[in-house]
Amino acid sequence: MKKSIAAILLIALAVSGGFAQDKVTLTVMNYQQADQAGYPEDVKIWQDFQAANPDITLNIEVLFNDPYHQKLQAYAAAGTMPDVFYVWPGARSAVVHEKRLAKDLNQLLGAAYLKDFSAAATNPANQLGKYMAMLPQSYTYTSVMYVNKKLLEDNGFKLPKTYADLKKMVPKLKAKGVSVAMLPNKDAWPMQSCLFSTVVGRMAGDSFLDAVLAGKAKFTDKEFVASLQVIADLYKDGIFSREDVQIGYGEAAGMFASGKAAIYIDGDWRVGAYITDKASGKALIAPAAQESDFVLLPFPSIPGEKNRGVVSAVAGTGWAVSSSLPAGSAKEKAATRLIKYLYSPEVQAIRFGTGAYVPTRKGVKADVEPLVAKVPVFYADNAKTCYVVDGVLDPAVYNVINDGLIAIGLGTKAPAQVAAETQKAYESWLASK
Amino acid sequence: MGEEIRTTVAGRVGSSIARSAAYGMMILFTGMTLYPIFWLIMNSFKSTKEFQVSQLAFPAEPTMSNYVEAWKMGDFALLFPNSIVYTVGATLGIVFVSLLAGFAFAKISSRATKPIYNGFVIGILITAQSLMIPLFLEVNLLGIYNTRIAVLLVYIGTGLPLGVYLSTEYIKSIPNALIESARIDGATFFSIFRKIVVPMSLPVAVTLSILNISNIWNEFALINILVSRTELKSLPLGIFKFSGSLSTDYGKQFAALTIGMVPMLLFYIVFRKQITKGVAAGAVKG
Repeated sequence: MKKSIAAILLIALAVSGGFAQDKVTLTVMNYQQADQAGYPEDVKIWQDFQAANPDITLNIEVLFNDPYHQKLQAYAAAGTMPDVFYVWPGARSAVVHEKRLAKDLNQLLGAAYLKDFSAAATNPANQLGKYMAMLPQSYTYTSVMYVNKKLLEDNGFKLPKTYADLKKMVPKLKAKGVSVAMLPNKDAWPMQSCLFSTVVGRMAGDSFLDAVLAGKAKFTDKEFVASLQVIADLYKDGIFSREDVQIGYGEAAGMFASGKAAIYIDGDWRVGAYITDKASGKALIAPAAQESDFVLLPFPSIPGEKNRGVVSAVAGTGWAVSSSLPAGSAKEKAATRLIKYLYSPEVQAIRFGTGAYVPTRKGVKADVEPLVAKVPVFYADNAKTCYVVDGVLDPAVYNVINDGLIAIGLGTKAPAQVAAETQKAYESWLASK
Repeated sequence: MGEEIRTTVAGRVGSSIARSAAYGMMILFTGMTLYPIFWLIMNSFKSTKEFQVSQLAFPAEPTMSNYVEAWKMGDFALLFPNSIVYTVGATLGIVFVSLLAGFAFAKISSRATKPIYNGFVIGILITAQSLMIPLFLEVNLLGIYNTRIAVLLVYIGTGLPLGVYLSTEYIKSIPNALIESARIDGATFFSIFRKIVVPMSLPVAVTLSILNISNIWNEFALINILVSRTELKSLPLGIFKFSGSLSTDYGKQFAALTIGMVPMLLFYIVFRKQITKGVAAGAVKG
């Protein structure tokens, strides 16, 4: 009897020993801001993974904005990349793409797994290194008009379909101290990213920017000057107020919600600012009003546009796995498990629900507030997209455009002058390469 | 006589106008300094919604929840002691090594003095940003990445150029006769340093402490590169979690900024006399 008990114990020990795994430690760089909507949910996402995977220890470093990129640069220079990190598909994470510091997720995750994601997200051509260094969690539309339908209707206006419709609203709304449209541009990038890119897409098209990059066109060509002229006209015609150039990006959402403008132009990500904050239970726009009083529209048609209705869009951010992890190693397996968890329908539903983005993972359902629910509808209604200027040009060039758009807003520079400065900056950048 | 009275009255009127203008300017600049602090503290007691609707009014329903939440989310209970250790440790290190080096450069002449001194002083021109990646590579090479000692060494190292410069210039003003007579009496250099140089250099030591305490307390760029573990981070890294360009929760952001600012304000309020005296004394040789 004693012998048989001992034998069973030995077998049990052997079996448990055989299945027992060594603990794997993964270093992770997370991009997280504590005062943004969805922060508590993000913290819980990581805690849940840790609880469900006791064999993996996560050493998570949390940073945000420029310090995140500076640290990533330092890791890249030292050749000590974290095992899993957050990355941009374009120039913002150029070092990762150019030095191939991330594994090809096409190979790591496999086609069977990736078929559950939209084609735009899994297309390597949409990434700087032309391989799948990361899997975009979202496909971001950078130009959306948030329209206060009730305010317009109360003043006898219909939803704007053309530039002329916007212009018609100016006298009446201005008399009441309400701006027709608001686009805060103190931070310099919003005008370029959230409207000018769409205008260039409409007036000149992606083919124009491709031609410039191929040396077959110039920023001084009439299409680009005409695009800048549209922005100048928006200020001249009173659709935008010149004071908007002095408004910080963070301030404008509250101003729009309190009725200081009929239309607010921003990226689709900004829905997160209006929905209910889970921590405080408060919302800038109450869910009932989101449903009945607000709509999301593309910028109206512009006189002289070549490509009707296109809207600027870009592949969003996502997760990458360090290329230094040996193939088939326990670390690589743990990193893959973490990545699959982060892109799981459950986690993506949480992100969708907080208004962070509309996932590229197909069929993700979440109980979202009305304004968030309107984003996928906006995508479906506006399938034709164009480049975001700062996604295709170098910072040395697009920063000149950003500054030029501020000068146009202030009325201190003419479109032709900004176009000439952009061309000069582009030529200097080409020469320095 | 009448002319004299007229001149005196005119002089008095002129001087009172000048005084009023001077007071006016001082009140204006004081207001410009204090108002942003007042505005920040006032808005830290508002909910984000209240802030977005009214940014200048007093809080209608003051709330402490911003502070409670910010303290928790920013891991300030962990970061506060770290900031104190780094600030006090590095400041003491900078003052001690600067005075030692200053004594050597000012009073012990050698052919190597000038090049070594210039080597230190040129560091004043180097920005923290240009040091970030080389320092990251160096601490990795030494195997001290993610340690308190790396932070302290780097802070002491980056504080030395200015420290050595100020100390050397100050110690030069101590009469050579004092050092020489102590040497004749058989004192070692270290006992001269301890018994003569340190007591006479207290003003410059105070100046160095004041400059470094606020610099190190607020330092962000280097510590961001030197550590990744939360338990080793300092207060500015915690505060930065609340200061992104896409902010939606201003209440917590302002509370976090106030938490980071209050210790420095208290430091200046408590030690204001010593600080004023120290800056004035340290600024003038002899």
